[in-house]
Amino acid sequence: MSNLDIIAQQFFNGLILGSFYSLVALGYSMVYGIIKLLNFAHGDIYMVGAFTGFALLSVVSGFLGNGWGGIVVSMVLAMIAVGFLGVLIQRVAYRPMLNAPRLSILITALAVSIILYNTAMVLTHGEFKAFTVGLGYDGVQLGDVFVTYTQMVLVTATAVLMLILHLFISKTMYGKAMRAISIDQDACRLMGIDVNMVIAVTFFIGSALAAAAGVMAGVYYGRIEFSMGFLIGLKAFTAAVIGGIGSIPGAMLGGLVLGMLESFGTQISFVGSEWKDVFAFGILILLLVFKPTGLLGRTEIERM
Amino acid sequence: MTKRWCAVAVVMMAALIGAWSVAPVFAEGDIKVGIMAPTTGSEATYGKDMENAISLAVAEINAKGGLLGKQVVTTTGDDACDPQQGASAASKLVSEGVVAVVGGYCSGSTLPTLKIYGDAGIPIIITAANSSKLSGANPGNAFQINSTGSDQAITAVNLFKEKKVKKLAIVDQGDGYSADLAALTAKKWKEMGNEVVAVEVINKGEQDDSALVTRLNSKAPDAIFWTAYYADGALLIKQLRQSGYHKLIAVGDGSNSPKLMELAGPAAEGVFCFSNPIVEYLPAAKTFGETYKKKFGQDPGPYSALAYDGMNLLADAIKRAKSADKAAIMKALKETKDFNGIAGPISFNPDQTLARSNFVVLVAKGNAWSLYK
Repeated sequence: MSNLDIIAQQFFNGLILGSFYSLVALGYSMVYGIIKLLNFAHGDIYMVGAFTGFALLSVVSGFLGNGWGGIVVSMVLAMIAVGFLGVLIQRVAYRPMLNAPRLSILITALAVSIILYNTAMVLTHGEFKAFTVGLGYDGVQLGDVFVTYTQMVLVTATAVLMLILHLFISKTMYGKAMRAISIDQDACRLMGIDVNMVIAVTFFIGSALAAAAGVMAGVYYGRIEFSMGFLIGLKAFTAAVIGGIGSIPGAMLGGLVLGMLESFGTQISFVGSEWKDVFAFGILILLLVFKPTGLLGRTEIERM
Repeated sequence: MTKRWCAVAVVMMAALIGAWSVAPVFAEGDIKVGIMAPTTGSEATYGKDMENAISLAVAEINAKGGLLGKQVVTTTGDDACDPQQGASAASKLVSEGVVAVVGGYCSGSTLPTLKIYGDAGIPIIITAANSSKLSGANPGNAFQINSTGSDQAITAVNLFKEKKVKKLAIVDQGDGYSADLAALTAKKWKEMGNEVVAVEVINKGEQDDSALVTRLNSKAPDAIFWTAYYADGALLIKQLRQSGYHKLIAVGDGSNSPKLMELAGPAAEGVFCFSNPIVEYLPAAKTFGETYKKKFGQDPGPYSALAYDGMNLLADAIKRAKSADKAAIMKALKETKDFNGIAGPISFNPDQTLARSNFVVLVAKGNAWSLYK
C-alpha cells in the first residue's frame, strides 16, 4: 500500500468510527444542553438499542428477510421503542430530581446505567450474541483502498440522521423551544412553553439516535453484548466534550475528530498500536488546555 | 454488647459443627485423592468439567475392583480460580489426608498451592494450568500433563513454515496469557530466521479494529496470528477479510470455540486454530465422550480429556508403585514412560512438564472446527 492509500483508508476508517461516536455523543450533548445532566445511562441506552434491534430483526426477518429491508424496518422500530424508554427513564428517574442538587441527579443517572447494564446481563446470561444479517462484503476498490457498500450506507445513514436532527432543531417550534430552554428554563416556563414536554422530546430523540447507532453497530460488527455500551459511552462522552458539550454541531464534529484521532493514532504510533489511546487522549488534553469549552462550545454565562 | 458477641459465637459454632457433619467421611482402607478445580466463580464451568471427568475415571477404576484391593474416593478443593482460595483449598486437601491431587485449572491459583503440597510431600498432577511460571515454582512434586504456551508456539511456527509464510504478524490482547504466547511465537519465528513484521495489541471489548487492520495490511504479512480469545478474535477475522486480506489467519487455543464461527460467520472459513486435545477431535477418546455424556447429560468440556488422563495416570502410578504411599507414588510418576492417555502419550521432561506436545491443529470448515492434522 502506498502512503496515500494508507491515509485515505485510515481517513475512511476514522469516518466510520466517528459516525458511531457522533450519533451517541449527540444524546449526551442534547441532554446536557437542556438540563445540564451528564446522562451516564446513555451508553447503556445504545446497548439496549442494539438488543432491541436484534430482537426485532429476528421477528421482522420472517417477513422482510435479513437484508436491508428488514434492517431498516427493525432499526426504525427500535429507535421508536428505545426513544420511549428514554422518555420513561427521564419521567421516573430524572424529572423528580430537576430541582435537586446537581450531584443527586448525576448519581441517579449512574443508578439507571447500572440497572440497565445488569438487567441486560441477566437477561442475556452475559453471552455474546451474533447479529446475523444478510449483507455481503461487496464493495468498491479504489487503488488499495477498499470500501464496502455496507460501510457507505452506514456513513450516509448517519449523515441523513444528523441532517434531520439539524432541521428539526433549527426549523421547528420544538427545536426553537429546546434552544430556548437551554438558555433559561424559568423564563420559558413563564412564556408558556411546556418545559417538561420539550425535555421529554429531547430524551426521545437522544435515545432514538443512540438506538440507531446500536443497531448499526450490531449490523456492522456482527456482535452484541451487555457491556458494549460502556466503552463507546465513555468515548462518545469524550467526543461531546471535544466538540463543546451542549452544542449539537459540536457533538457531530467531536465524534469525527475522535474517530480520526484514533485511526490515525493507530497508524502513526511507530512503537505499536497499543499506544493509540494514549495518543488520542493526549491530544484531547492539549485541546482542552487551549480551548476549555471544546471546539464549538460557548463560554458558560453564570446566572445569579 | 456481650450478649451480641455470645450470639455470634453460638452461630459460628453451629456453622462449624454443620460444616464438619457434611464433610465427606472416609472409610479406613480407602485411597483418598484430592481434586483441585474451580467449582465456583467465573471459571466454574471448566472446573465442573474436570471434576466430572475425574469422578468418571474413579468410578471406572472402582468398578474394576479399585487399586491394590482398595476403593478410590475423591474430595474436591474449590480454588475458585483465586490464588488465596487456591491456598486454602490446598490446605484443606492436605488436612484431609489425600495421597495425591489431580486438577489445577487456573495457573494463577495453582501456583501458590505447589509449595503447600510440596511441604506435605503430596504429588500433584496438573491437568489444565499451563503457565510457564509453573515449572519454575515446582518444588519437585508437580507433574504437568498439559502442553505449555511454548509447545503451542512450536506448533504454530511449524504450521507457518509448512504454509511457506515469510512475514508474520501477531496480534494479542495485552493480557498475560495472550501477550506471553505472542512473545514466545515471535521469538521462535525469529530464531528460525524469519521476519515478524508486527506485534500489535487490541484492547479487550473494542469493536472497531479497522484502523489496526489497515496498519497490518500496510505491512503486507503472509500470515496473521491472533493469540487471544474468540469474542474479539471473531471481529478481527471478520474485519480482516472485509478489508480484502485473503492470506493465512491462525488463532490460539483461547479462540477454540464454536462461538468464533457464529460471530465471524463465513469470514472464519479456512482459519487455523491450535487447540488443546479436545475430546471430539481425539479418536482415542470416543468411548470416553459417550460415557461422559450418558453419565452427566452434557458433552465433555475442553479440559475433560486431560483431567481423565490425569486420574488414570495416577492410578497407573499407584499400580506400578504397588503402594499408596505418597513418596512411592511420586517416584512412580517420575518414571512414567509413554503412558497411553486418551489425549496422547504422556512422558515427562526432566522438569516434569509434558515431553511431547499434545496440541492439535484445527481448521474451520463449513462453520465447524475439524482436525487439520
